[in-house]
Amino acid sequence: MSLIAQLLIYGVLAAAIFSLVAVGFYLIFSIVRFFHFAHAAVFTCGAYSVFLLNARCGLPLFFAILVAVVLCSLLGCAMYLAVYRPLRRKGTSSLILLLASLGLYAVFQNLISLAFGDDTKTIRTGAVTEGMNLLGARITSIQVTIVCFSIALVVGVWIFLKRTKIGMVMRAVADDLELARVSGIDSDRIILWTFAISSALAGIAGILVAFDTDMTPTMGLNVLLMGVVAVIIGGSGSIPGVALGALFLGLAQHLGVWGISSQWQDAIAFIILLAFLLVRPEGVLGKRVTKATV
Amino acid sequence: MEYLLHILILIGIYVILSTSLNLIVGYTGLLSIAHAAFYGIGAYIAALMALKLHSPFLVNLICAIILSALFGALVGIPSLRIRDDYFVIATFAFQVITFSVLNNWVSFTGGPMGLPGIPQPVIWGLEISSPIGFLILVGIFCTLTLWVTRRIVQSPFGRVLKAVREDEVFAQAAGKNVAAYKVLVFVIGAGMAAVAGAIYAHYISFIDPTSFTVMESIFIISIVIIGGSGSLWGPVVGAVVLVVLPELLRFIGLPSAVAANLRQIIYGGLLVAFMMWRPQGFLGEYAFQGKETRE
Amino acid sequence: MSEALLKVDSLSKSFNGVHALADFSCRLQRSEILGLIGPNGAGKTTLFNIVTGFVTPERGKVSMKSNNITGLAPHRLANHGIARTFQDLRLIRQLSVLDNVLLSFRDQPGEKLGNVFFRSKKSREHEKRNCQEAIRLLAGAGIAEKAGDPAENLSYGQQKLLSLVCCLAAKAEVLLLDEPVAGIAPEMKEKILGMIRDLPAKGKSVILIEHDLDAVMQTCDRLVFMDAGSEVSEGAPQEVRNDPKVIEAYID
Repeated sequence: MSLIAQLLIYGVLAAAIFSLVAVGFYLIFSIVRFFHFAHAAVFTCGAYSVFLLNARCGLPLFFAILVAVVLCSLLGCAMYLAVYRPLRRKGTSSLILLLASLGLYAVFQNLISLAFGDDTKTIRTGAVTEGMNLLGARITSIQVTIVCFSIALVVGVWIFLKRTKIGMVMRAVADDLELARVSGIDSDRIILWTFAISSALAGIAGILVAFDTDMTPTMGLNVLLMGVVAVIIGGSGSIPGVALGALFLGLAQHLGVWGISSQWQDAIAFIILLAFLLVRPEGVLGKRVTKATV
Repeated sequence: MEYLLHILILIGIYVILSTSLNLIVGYTGLLSIAHAAFYGIGAYIAALMALKLHSPFLVNLICAIILSALFGALVGIPSLRIRDDYFVIATFAFQVITFSVLNNWVSFTGGPMGLPGIPQPVIWGLEISSPIGFLILVGIFCTLTLWVTRRIVQSPFGRVLKAVREDEVFAQAAGKNVAAYKVLVFVIGAGMAAVAGAIYAHYISFIDPTSFTVMESIFIISIVIIGGSGSLWGPVVGAVVLVVLPELLRFIGLPSAVAANLRQIIYGGLLVAFMMWRPQGFLGEYAFQGKETRE
Repeated sequence: MSEALLKVDSLSKSFNGVHALADFSCRLQRSEILGLIGPNGAGKTTLFNIVTGFVTPERGKVSMKSNNITGLAPHRLANHGIARTFQDLRLIRQLSVLDNVLLSFRDQPGEKLGNVFFRSKKSREHEKRNCQEAIRLLAGAGIAEKAGDPAENLSYGQQKLLSLVCCLAAKAEVLLLDEPVAGIAPEMKEKILGMIRDLPAKGKSVILIEHDLDAVMQTCDRLVFMDAGSEVSEGAPQEVRNDPKVIEAYID
């Protein structure tokens, strides 16, 4: 019984992280219409910024985290301004943007490796605790924090999109770019907001993960890919869809390896992804992604 | 001298890899990040057969090609149903699944420890053990790959590929079974990549999963894009540039870990730069078109 | 009454709840030019898409020479003697004019992978013959000198001409032309219409979608007026034009 509870907890934990990354990725995809893989580097940047500011520069942890999140937002916006915007201005296809984002990821991940080394770094302080008991399984306080934060942030973003003026404009742009532009919406500003919010979410996710399991320069790509899977299986149509996808993925990964070794988690995630792409490409809640016809 | 030979052999291997990927990406317009998976399958099949069955190199090579080609067909099939961007993600999925299998199926592939002690290839009684020997081997297969590719792209079959690249609907209305062409091109590309894998396995005599990751796929696609997609010699130029350039770093006396990072920064940076300023690469005529996103 | 070449029976198709085609039937005789007219959204292009296999109907049947061809894949139908042009003018712009025509020939041995390496002599000879035929067709259309140019260098009118030439290369019995003269200059329009008028004499049948009524009146043997997915009127051009139902539909 407690094994299932433990796996459930791990699953929810994974889902929490995936959803933070997935929501940001989804926002950028739905508003700017391409796959921003360099989002993985922003995630990693969050963790390492805290490391730099706190462990290396001695800034108090709280401030280090704040500054780190802001830095991540800025990084995302910088990527847009320096690379994606000029490319979009030329009318290039989303595949070229995808390739550029892959290049950006390679550059930034390796910059982090160069600056900090490939070995594991930590921002955790204090002893590794056993954690509390929940339904016969163990969960640490940081893990509880992760889940609570994620829920709060995802709900927060959802409300932001539904209630605030900027949020509504973002949804308008996501629904119909042409119409939005024709109605005089400054798409540049909206896109910057999108990158800022998404990158902040990614940075926070990176920091949270670092508090739970330390950091390495390559930590981002895998999490991002899981986020992508979550977006696709949840249905690229809405935030609840993405969150649902993340939950399903987290649970499937952890419960699915019950009986098989946990190393197969990635493979399972991607087999699920392929299944969805082939059988139900629009995901659980979303819109069609199949080939355009005449 | 031996170092120079080593570089040339590497260039040769990457010419085979990039030329085969160019058929898929450059000529048919199907962006795929799964090529390192085909490369890896080729390497592992050849290595495993050499190690466990002690079968001749050419037999191993043929098996590696066939198995990789079959996997290529598998990867190609989703392209029939899924739109471009999502198809790229599907290729990512195949790449990661393959890596996972190579890394975790320890009893078969040796897992993270890899396969050491791969014997030298013996072709018709001739053992290939010296760098010169490998260079000749690579050279022969390079030439073969380029020749096969040239035949294909200059034929009516190749013309259909280029049509599929730009407008599948037109191709279908012209009576072309687009689905078959897409799967076939993956089969050919995967088969060719397996050759590179087999040669690599024997040359380095040790393989592990870390040579066949997503980053490797990104490297190969960078070669194709930077060299010039949709052109015959583009991948050759790309392979030369992207193999040689980072090697020059060694001469500045940087520690190898740093050099490895810098290498990735170089090709990542070049990829971004070319996307921004010359998406058709050095020699290419085709830059990804299709759906546009105007601001 | 001779057996119709192409028959469409009770086709129905909706998109998102809107009826693109509602129980639509129609016949195409041999060596006939049938004009399909009607307001936008009447279902004309949907009909073409169903006949050429790009869209599957919910109900109904398409048959050619008494063979049921409903729901077959587009490329198979294209090899069944049907060729089409597209409303948004599809061509392979990166390839040369000649390549576009060569692409349109059916049953090319060189397109089979095996023949690229084995039996290549046969492929080469076939290709050579196709090449000569392609040049002949382009010359007939007056654009042979552009053969080597990329298709994107042609003017809009020349591109429309090229897409018609591609249909001819297909040696199809049935040509479905979707607005072949829309948006082009009068001279080119006349040239294309002239080529279309010559087709019945060569044993070909045409279904023509056009909004230009004068063009339709001059070129077609028979007209079908469609609105909201159904046939409103059918008959000789003058009859249909003067049909009160047609006039009413236009005013609406």
